[in-house]
Amino acid sequence: MTIAPPPDPFAVFGVEHTLDLDARTLERRYLELSRGCHPDLHRATDTDDCLAVLQRSAEINDAWRVLRDPWERARALLELRSPGVLDREKKLDPAFLAQALELAEEVAFVDATQAPALRERLEHELAADLLAVRDALGAADVGLAARRFHAAKYHRKALLDLDSKT
Amino acid sequence: MTSGQPPAQKRPLVIGIDLGTTNSLAAIRAGRGARVLRDQHAQALIPSVCCWLPDGSTIVGAEAKALRLQHPDRTVFSIKRLIGRSGQEVQAEAAQLPYRVEIADRGLPRVRIGDRTFSPEEISALILRQVKATAEQALGQSVQQAVITVPAWFDDAQRHATKDAATLAGLDCLRIVNEPTAAALAYGIDGSKDGTALVYDLGGGTFDVSILRIEAGVFRVLATAGDTHLGGDDFDQLLGERILAALRGRTGAVDASNPYVLQAIRGAAEGLKIRLSEADTASLQLDLGEHGHADVTVTRAEFEAAIAPLVERTIACVQRAVRDAGLQLTGLDDIVLVGGSTRVPLVRRRLHELTGKAPHTGVDPDLAVALGAAIQADVLAGNDRSLLLLDVIPLSLGLLTFGGAVQKLILRNSTIPTSVTEEFSTAVDNQTAVELTVYQGERELAQDNRRLGSFHLRGIPPMPAGLPRIAVTFLVDADGVLRVTAREKRTGVEAAIVIVPSFGLTRDEVRQMMLDSIEHAQADYLAREAIDLRNKATAMVTGTRKAMALAELPPDQTYAVHKAVKALDKLLAANADPAALKAGCEELTRVTATIADDVISSAVAKALRTETGGPAT
Repeated sequence: MTIAPPPDPFAVFGVEHTLDLDARTLERRYLELSRGCHPDLHRATDTDDCLAVLQRSAEINDAWRVLRDPWERARALLELRSPGVLDREKKLDPAFLAQALELAEEVAFVDATQAPALRERLEHELAADLLAVRDALGAADVGLAARRFHAAKYHRKALLDLDSKT
Repeated sequence: MTSGQPPAQKRPLVIGIDLGTTNSLAAIRAGRGARVLRDQHAQALIPSVCCWLPDGSTIVGAEAKALRLQHPDRTVFSIKRLIGRSGQEVQAEAAQLPYRVEIADRGLPRVRIGDRTFSPEEISALILRQVKATAEQALGQSVQQAVITVPAWFDDAQRHATKDAATLAGLDCLRIVNEPTAAALAYGIDGSKDGTALVYDLGGGTFDVSILRIEAGVFRVLATAGDTHLGGDDFDQLLGERILAALRGRTGAVDASNPYVLQAIRGAAEGLKIRLSEADTASLQLDLGEHGHADVTVTRAEFEAAIAPLVERTIACVQRAVRDAGLQLTGLDDIVLVGGSTRVPLVRRRLHELTGKAPHTGVDPDLAVALGAAIQADVLAGNDRSLLLLDVIPLSLGLLTFGGAVQKLILRNSTIPTSVTEEFSTAVDNQTAVELTVYQGERELAQDNRRLGSFHLRGIPPMPAGLPRIAVTFLVDADGVLRVTAREKRTGVEAAIVIVPSFGLTRDEVRQMMLDSIEHAQADYLAREAIDLRNKATAMVTGTRKAMALAELPPDQTYAVHKAVKALDKLLAANADPAALKAGCEELTRVTATIADDVISSAVAKALRTETGGPAT
C-alpha cells in the first residue's frame, strides 16, 4: 500500500515554488480559491454534488493543509525537486544523533522551571533548521536539504514531547 | 449580499431543519436573518416523539409526547441516540428506555411496537415528515429540499443514516451541516465581526464543541470535538435515579423496568431539572397510583454535584478542541452557547471560569441551530453568495492493515471536502477482487475504532500478482460522508465497488422501505377510513332511531326508514367491509332525505355531532 503523490500544492494555489510564502497572503488566497469552487456555492442542478467540483474543492483544501505548515511545505518542495529524495537521504551524522538522544533525555527529565527555556531553545533550533533547508534548496543541494529536513524531525518531536508534558 | 427584493425567477424553497434528540424544528431565511416556522398553535419546537396507537395509526410531536404515560411502551423518544449505531452499542442504553429495542439483522437495532418493528431511520423519517408538514403549513407551499443538521461529532454511519431518514421522509437533503457550525452562522450572520468563536452545544443527547474563525463571510471550522453520548438526557437520568430511590410501592415492591414507571420518572426528572435552573431547590410529589409514590426534594448543590463529572467531560472536550485549533483559551473572542442544556447554571459558570469570558446568549439556544441551517439552506438555494462554510471531518478515517492495525488516510479536523488516493495491488496471480475495510476513529487498533464497512473492488483484469496498480480514491464530501472510487491504472479499467456498510441501511433496504412506507401509508389510511366509517354508521343508526321515536311519519315512510336502519345495523353486527357499510349509510341517507319533515334530518345531524364529536350521552 503506497500513497500516490497528491497534485503539486504550489500549482494548485498558483504560487511560486518556494519556502518563503507569506502566511497572510496564502490564507487570503485559500479563501478566494474556496469561494471559487466550493460545492455549496457551485451546486450542480441535480441534488448530488458534482464529483468534479468536489475533487477540485478537495484539492484546494488538501493543498492548503500542506502549504500552511512550513514543514509540510518543505516536504512537498523537496519531493517536487527530486522525487524520492527523502527516502534516499536518510542517513544522519552519528554525532548529531547522539546530540538528539541527549536532547530527548533532557525533555524527559525537564522540570517546570526549566521548561520555558528549553522550549525557546527548541524553537530556535527549528527556525535554524528551516533556514538551512531553504539555503540548501537555494544552492540546489537537495540532498543536504533532505538530510536537514530529517534532522529537524528530532527537534519537532522533542518540542511535541515537551508540549504533551506541560 | 442578498437584496431585499424577491428574485425575479422563483427558486425552489429550501428549509433548514434541526433534527434534535428532544425537539426538532424548521426555519427559513428571512431578510438578513432567518425565522423559525411555527404550527397553528404558534409552537416551533416539535417534540421528537412518535406514538403508535393500538389501532395502528401514528402520532408525532406534542400530541405523541402527551400520550407517553397512556402508551408507555408505544411511545418512542430520543431515537437520535440509536441512529447509525449497532444494536450492541446501544444495548446498555436501551435497557433504560420504556420502549423495546431489539437486535435484528446484521446486529442493527430495531424498535418493537406491538407486532411491528421499525429502524431508527424510519422513526426519524416520521419526525422529519412532521417537521416538513409543519413547515409547509406555515409557508403555504410544498417543501422538497432541506439542509439538515447533525452533531459535529456524528461519524460517517450516523450521517448516512440521517440522509436515509430524509429520503424516507420524501425530502432531498441538500447538505448535512454540523450543529455548532449552523449555530455560529445564526450568531455571526451580520458578518461585521471577524474573530474566533467557540461554540458549545449541549443538547438532549449529544455534545459538540467547535472552534471557528470568521473572516469576510467565511466561517471556517478550525477544530471540533465532542461526545455523541452526552446531553441533558443524562442529567435527567441522574435525577431519575434519585426519584426511583425515593419511590415507595403501595405493596412494597417497585417495578423499575415497568414502561409506565420509566416514562413517568423521565418526565418528572426533566421537570425537576428545569426548575433547578431557576431555583435553589425543587420538590416533587409523584403519584404513580398502583406503582407507588415518591416525595423528593433536590437542592441545586446536590444536582450540580451529581452532574459535575458529566460537565467536566465536556470541559475536557473544549480543551482538546482549542489545542487542536492551535489556539489558547485566552485567544477566543466569543463564546456561544447552543442547546437547551446550556441553561443549566453550572455549565455556564464552568465555561465562564475556563475562558474568562461571559458566554453569549443573544439567540434562543433551542432555535439557533435551525436558524443557522436556514441561512445555509439559502446559500445552497443559490440566493446568497456572500457566505461560505468550511467545515471539518470530526474523526480520522483509516484502512485495516495486516495485524489489525489501522493506517490513517484522512486525519481528523481536515477541512472537507478532502481526498486521498492510495495504490493497491494483488497478492496472488489472476486475483480479480480486493477487499478494503474502512474504520473511523483515533485509536491505533482496528478493534477500538468504528468499522464503517468494507469496499470490495471487483473486475480487476487478471494479471500476475503485484502487477495491477489499483488507485483507490477516498473522498470525504461536504456532508462529511465518504465516497470511494477505484481505477486500475495499467488498463484504465474502473473497478466496481460494492459497499457493505457495518451500520445503517444498505441501498436496497432504503429502496424497500420507500416502497413499504407508501404501502403502509395506504394501509394506514384504509384502516383509519374503516374506523371512521364504522363510527359514522353506528351514529346514524342510533340517531335515526332516536329521531323516529319523536317524529310522526306516514306508515310507508316509517317502514322504509326502519328497513334501512335495520339493514345498516345488521351490517355493523356482521362486521361488514367498508364498501358494504358505505353503501348502507348511503341508503339510509337516501330514504331519510326524501322525508319532508325536517325533524328527522336535524335530529340525525344532532345525534351525529354528539356521537363523533364528543363523549356519547
